[in-house]
Amino acid sequence: MEPTENPGRERILARMRRALTVPSPKHRASGERNLVFAPIGHPLDRFQQECKENNTECRTVPDREASAAAIAQILASLPGGEVFVQDSSALREMAPAWPRVHNLKWSSDGPPGEASQATITHAEALVALTGSVLVSAECGGRGASIVAPIHIVVAGLDQLVPDLESAFSRQRERGTIARNSFLCLITGSSRTADIEKILVMGAHGPRRLIVVLSLQ
Amino acid sequence: MSTAGEQFLRQAAEKSSDLRHRKLIRHAIDQYSGSVVRGRARFLDWEEARQRSHEIKWEAVNHLDRYLLEFEQNVKARGARVFWAETSEDARRYIADLATQRNVRTVVKSKSMVTEEIHLNPALEKLGIEVFETDLGEFIVQLRDEPPYHIVTPAMHLTRGDIAALFKEKLGNVDTDDPQQLVAAARIALRKAFFSAEMGITGANFLVADSGMIAVTSNEGNARLCSSLPRIHVAIAGIEKVIPRADDLAILWPVLATAGTGQPITCYSTLIGGPRSANEIDGPEEFHVILLDNGRSDLLADPEQREVLNCIRCGACLNVCPVYRTVGGHTYGTTYQGPIGSVLTPHLRGIKEFQHLSSASSLCGACTETCPVKIDLHHHLLHNRRNAVETKNRSWRERMAFKIWRWSMLGAGRFALFGALSRAGLRAINGLGLAGTVFDPGRAWTKDRAPLRVPGKSFRALWQEQETKPGKEQDGAD
Repeated sequence: MEPTENPGRERILARMRRALTVPSPKHRASGERNLVFAPIGHPLDRFQQECKENNTECRTVPDREASAAAIAQILASLPGGEVFVQDSSALREMAPAWPRVHNLKWSSDGPPGEASQATITHAEALVALTGSVLVSAECGGRGASIVAPIHIVVAGLDQLVPDLESAFSRQRERGTIARNSFLCLITGSSRTADIEKILVMGAHGPRRLIVVLSLQ
Repeated sequence: MSTAGEQFLRQAAEKSSDLRHRKLIRHAIDQYSGSVVRGRARFLDWEEARQRSHEIKWEAVNHLDRYLLEFEQNVKARGARVFWAETSEDARRYIADLATQRNVRTVVKSKSMVTEEIHLNPALEKLGIEVFETDLGEFIVQLRDEPPYHIVTPAMHLTRGDIAALFKEKLGNVDTDDPQQLVAAARIALRKAFFSAEMGITGANFLVADSGMIAVTSNEGNARLCSSLPRIHVAIAGIEKVIPRADDLAILWPVLATAGTGQPITCYSTLIGGPRSANEIDGPEEFHVILLDNGRSDLLADPEQREVLNCIRCGACLNVCPVYRTVGGHTYGTTYQGPIGSVLTPHLRGIKEFQHLSSASSLCGACTETCPVKIDLHHHLLHNRRNAVETKNRSWRERMAFKIWRWSMLGAGRFALFGALSRAGLRAINGLGLAGTVFDPGRAWTKDRAPLRVPGKSFRALWQEQETKPGKEQDGAD
């Protein structure tokens, strides 16, 4: 399995180079550039509207204290069992406000188990255009946003960006793309329409995606 | 053993008269068409989005060696291993050897057309490895031991009743045809596999050169579980999947989703570069990327059809194709069906055996019109027809007929002579009542149709009469 065992590599490269010595016809000339998407005037309004359409539950709260209370309310409706939480100082501060019926598993103690009831993580960014949540490996790992039936995202208004371009450029500046082996733009909860094109929510991933958005 | 062309004709005739099948496919595609109209309306300028997608892929494909090397360098720096596979056999062997060396007993797979192309599952199963398709549609067709019916919707040809009966037989404990509960049954059946598999295999929608990451989209989230839980992740993609920059995804992700299903963006648009790094909580210990050629570099060498490599496998051309909708996905007998399959397959598997696909088209151009990366699909079907003729893969009778036809068309006298002979011949056949019988050279046409009516005079004779007629109306108002 060493790279030296790959004689095909040079042959494929040689074939490609030979092939590309003959140029392909010039691609259709494009005149002036038009905008692909309409500019987004009110990112928060757009984000909330998109969430409604893609089945993300967006709960806006005035501040961090209210975030903790909103999470407590969601957890109170769940049966006991493991709840996985990204280990961050902010979430550590919120945890005392949550009901005691759950066994909190912090990400510093390993990934979420197969039977996790819910996961609670931060996000890298929120995207207004599509009502999406961008997470990385640093948001509790790869499994944190996919393994449990409920994923709760704790975010702030300063994380909201208008579109995908701004999300990418911000993450590049911060080194998120270079630093993480995993990033995912999550839009709504897991779904399938493989049976007669009928939409069913909750295929292999979370049935519910909840964004607790602090407006502070 | 009949040829692929004969099989196609036989199955096409069967499927096009299967009314249940037609109703099912029409229903599914009507649903799709409605979503796509709504999806496109979300763009301020859908045509601009197509143009930009076309330009991104054009740039990548026309500098393929450069971007692949950039991708390789960057993804290796993240700890991935990269293998370049010249053929299906190379790719299969690499994965099989890896699985054997690492004692892999169970593999979970997310949907990947390239793994269908290289016939991966039988190769792994021969080694005693259990392979689970985890996309619901793929899981269903795997249980039925069938190839996918459609690039994006593998089980489009089945009703919930068919699926309920299948699950009852294969999974037991399922006694419902409610889609919600059928999905739940599949989730439970696959859950154990996800958590016990040693290897996850995914495709890649894009290979992002500047970041050294692969982009994988999935609505169900199964591709994410495949690339998060097992200790080895293998991703396999055609060499044409590379794109220059991560920023390109800001266009390509929404365009792929809209063209594929009408969604604004796929539920999980994931970027993966490398195995779990030292400070990360989870993820595989090993990450392998296989870059598959398998005939693609030959297509690259054809400047006329090079843009076929721009394809992002959204399946839109299948959905709009009147031929696909009538004959169905399995009739093609190929990994890739519909217009893109008809264009691509002769390049990947030989024009001699698959030239018939180029004729399975009405040349209506709906595929070209819908293609989100602006591949001139119906003209490429024509190019393939021409190539098939030029490589002398047609029967001697057909070649002879066209030679005579060409010669007769090249001179006015010859043309008149052949016209007169043809009219006389037709009149004789009709007069003797032979039309449609085995003695009729035009039987292929006349056996199911009324005999051709033979005009009394040729067009040329009529024209000359008109020209010489006294008092001819100049404006031709009639």
